[in-house]
Amino acid sequence: MAAAPYRGGWLAAGIGLLLLFPLSSPDAFFLDVFTTGFLLAAFAASWDVVGGVSGQITLGHALPFGVAAYACALLTSLAGWPLPLALAAAVLLAAAVGAGIGGLSAPLAGPFVALLTLALGEIAHEAAVGNTFFSGPGGYAWGGEGGIPVALPWEDASPFSSYYAALAFLCIASFGMLRFSRSGAGLILRAVAGSPITAQASGVPIARFKRLAFTVGSAFAGAAGACFAVHVGRATATDLSLELSFQAATFAAVGGRGTIVGPVVAALVLHVLFQGLSLPPSARVLLYALTLLVTLRFFPGGVVGTVRDLALRIGGNGKEGPRSPRRRNRNRTGEGTP
Amino acid sequence: MLLDGLFAGGTYALMAAGMALILGVVKVINLSHGAFFTLGAYVAYALAERGIETPIAAAPLAAVIAFAFGVFLGKSFVNPVRSHPFALPVGTLACALLFEQAAQMVWGPHPLSIEAGKPWIGPGGLVVRRWGVIAFFSSAALLGGLKWVLSARPGLPLRLIAEDEEIAGSLGMDVETIRYLTFGGACAMAAAAGALLSPSGAVTPTMGRAPLLLSLVVVIVAGMDSVAAIFLLSIGLGIFGNACAWFLSPQWSYVALLSAVCLLLAVRPAGIVALAGRRD
Amino acid sequence: MNMLLSAEGIAKSFGATQVLSGITLSIAPGEPVGLFGPNGSGKTTLVNILSGLLLPDTGTVRFDGKEITRLPLDARYRLGIARTFQIPHPYPALSVREAVRVALEVNTGKRDEEGGAGKEEGPAEDLLDRTGLFNQRFVPCAQLSQGCLRRLEFARALACRPKLLILDEIFSALSAADEGDLTALLRAANRDEGAAFLLVSHNPPLLKALCRRILVLEEGRIVRERTL
Repeated sequence: MAAAPYRGGWLAAGIGLLLLFPLSSPDAFFLDVFTTGFLLAAFAASWDVVGGVSGQITLGHALPFGVAAYACALLTSLAGWPLPLALAAAVLLAAAVGAGIGGLSAPLAGPFVALLTLALGEIAHEAAVGNTFFSGPGGYAWGGEGGIPVALPWEDASPFSSYYAALAFLCIASFGMLRFSRSGAGLILRAVAGSPITAQASGVPIARFKRLAFTVGSAFAGAAGACFAVHVGRATATDLSLELSFQAATFAAVGGRGTIVGPVVAALVLHVLFQGLSLPPSARVLLYALTLLVTLRFFPGGVVGTVRDLALRIGGNGKEGPRSPRRRNRNRTGEGTP
Repeated sequence: MLLDGLFAGGTYALMAAGMALILGVVKVINLSHGAFFTLGAYVAYALAERGIETPIAAAPLAAVIAFAFGVFLGKSFVNPVRSHPFALPVGTLACALLFEQAAQMVWGPHPLSIEAGKPWIGPGGLVVRRWGVIAFFSSAALLGGLKWVLSARPGLPLRLIAEDEEIAGSLGMDVETIRYLTFGGACAMAAAAGALLSPSGAVTPTMGRAPLLLSLVVVIVAGMDSVAAIFLLSIGLGIFGNACAWFLSPQWSYVALLSAVCLLLAVRPAGIVALAGRRD
Repeated sequence: MNMLLSAEGIAKSFGATQVLSGITLSIAPGEPVGLFGPNGSGKTTLVNILSGLLLPDTGTVRFDGKEITRLPLDARYRLGIARTFQIPHPYPALSVREAVRVALEVNTGKRDEEGGAGKEEGPAEDLLDRTGLFNQRFVPCAQLSQGCLRRLEFARALACRPKLLILDEIFSALSAADEGDLTALLRAANRDEGAAFLLVSHNPPLLKALCRRILVLEEGRIVRERTL
């Protein structure tokens, strides 16, 4: 990863800017836009774990996101659990859902994984829209489009604390996902994504690792979803919608699949831009769709990929390591351009 | 209700056949197929607003418009991007969502309806809807025509490309052009189906999602080779879907379709194996 | 002596074509065996069945006394049966070193983090050095020449300290230099690590030089067996 050192510099600068932003006294609206942006960025990174690093194209990533949101809401409001416990349970549930999706999709090839995850997500969405849950002493029914409220231990969170809490969450979650992507397991996942047959011939149990990818990605998605429900105050059916799943894929495609950081940046930029301009929801989805189409057609590697290609072309070809001091083979082997 | 299902199913067959064509010739899962269905329905609505109320008039116009869009899409997006396995399902989904939102912006999110005309009352009180008969027979006719085309000389390039693209290319066929033309044609079929079925219910921006799933289920189960199998299975599913909507609710028929897709993918009949194999 | 690998009554047909019938063979521990046959004789199908990519219609395969007929490719690798591909499918996004690490990771579970780029020691470096790929260890796999890809296949196969190597045409269409190096590697693996191998090739001199026993496959049957 030759790009890592200088990219670390950019990242630090970016985080610094984000830390300082609220000090310029912006509108509460913009603080909120950034806050939800941070959570969506974490969601985008979690998609990248499944769809970018591991190559499993999921069009139903809103499923673990929404499941965690609903779990959090139901556990706090209906069952009266304390918030931290509900959050933990929500994430675990999302991970379990991910394991299930992974198990079902492991034998399938690329586009069919997309189809299956899309269908599963839509089933959950329909179930959420169609079902009403009865509240306790309140008497009126929850559920449906309106969603389920989350019982929060605080009265009204200030936009500032929400902002910093979400930013902290984003940094911690992204760091975790980056470490995972760079770990041994992450390497194996990238191998499975690149050439399943060679990975198998290297002893990789493909199905197990595909399940792992979904489990980890869904766990992080669930964390983002639960935090989202806490921030918004309710879990709604849009947390399970196809549009949301689609957004995750868009962020990843625009940012550069497999990089974790790319989708985070893309999510922040696109979300803040579109939401900040106060466009109506249908215009936003339309713009997301357009952005995706343009990116897929003209920038297949995403922004990060294109930048990397340009940098390589300017800076010369891939690195070659230093010569082995204890060469047992003659030097001429392995030399020369392919 | 049974008859309605029959008519609807027969028309959905048109759409399913289009999906089969795309899967076989262009080798792509076209998630925007439902959007073209919706396009057809909205074209019919637009015409109805202007006083032209017969689906027979709407269907050809919808087909032409859809063909134009389909060719544009095929040429500018599907063909160049085919080699990236990520791009296609996500990209076609993007097209679908794009259209859904555009339709919502132009016509609003509320259901619109088209005047259906008086139904005939047949023997035993059987209610036969006029649009249903028209749709069914138009679809059957078009499918018959398609079957004839595919088995005769004009269809040879399509069958060859579906079998082995390299051979087709080396025989001098312009595979790229045939691909986007087929894509356009299949989209036109979906739009025609949408226009023909538009009087049957509410026209909404997202109405194409269920027919999309239906055509996928049909193609996965019935395979891509037999038009007759596609037709019959679509009828079966149409009746089943109508029964669900009647006895339970329209949402349930959508969920039933979704579950069917999941079950099929979990059980993986030969259809998927063949499709997956063909991609290599 | 107990046979390392034994296959009995293997038959496979694709549709109406009977590709293999009544194949029975065995390989002793550490024994270098060759498989010779013209194109279309069923060599690759047999290799696929023995390595776990394909299920036979009938017959059994045993390894170290245990039946492995239905065991998939990855499980066999973990048992010590490594195979190479005639046409490798390199990882498009990984470097040479990372490719070898994948095989090591699964087998030995060694915690070897990304920061190992600066290191010059380690099991991956070791394998790369032996197969002559050390200088190219940061090159993306997709940019390798055919000869280097074959070396990488070999490195990958050696990563599990195999008891049995199944090599599918690993020497075909190679430069003399690459062929020489790989031949030496194979001999070393056989001699120093006691790895048996089944070498599939249509090059008789090579087979005679490397193998102690040669099986001849013709139209799906083993027609001859020569011990050298």
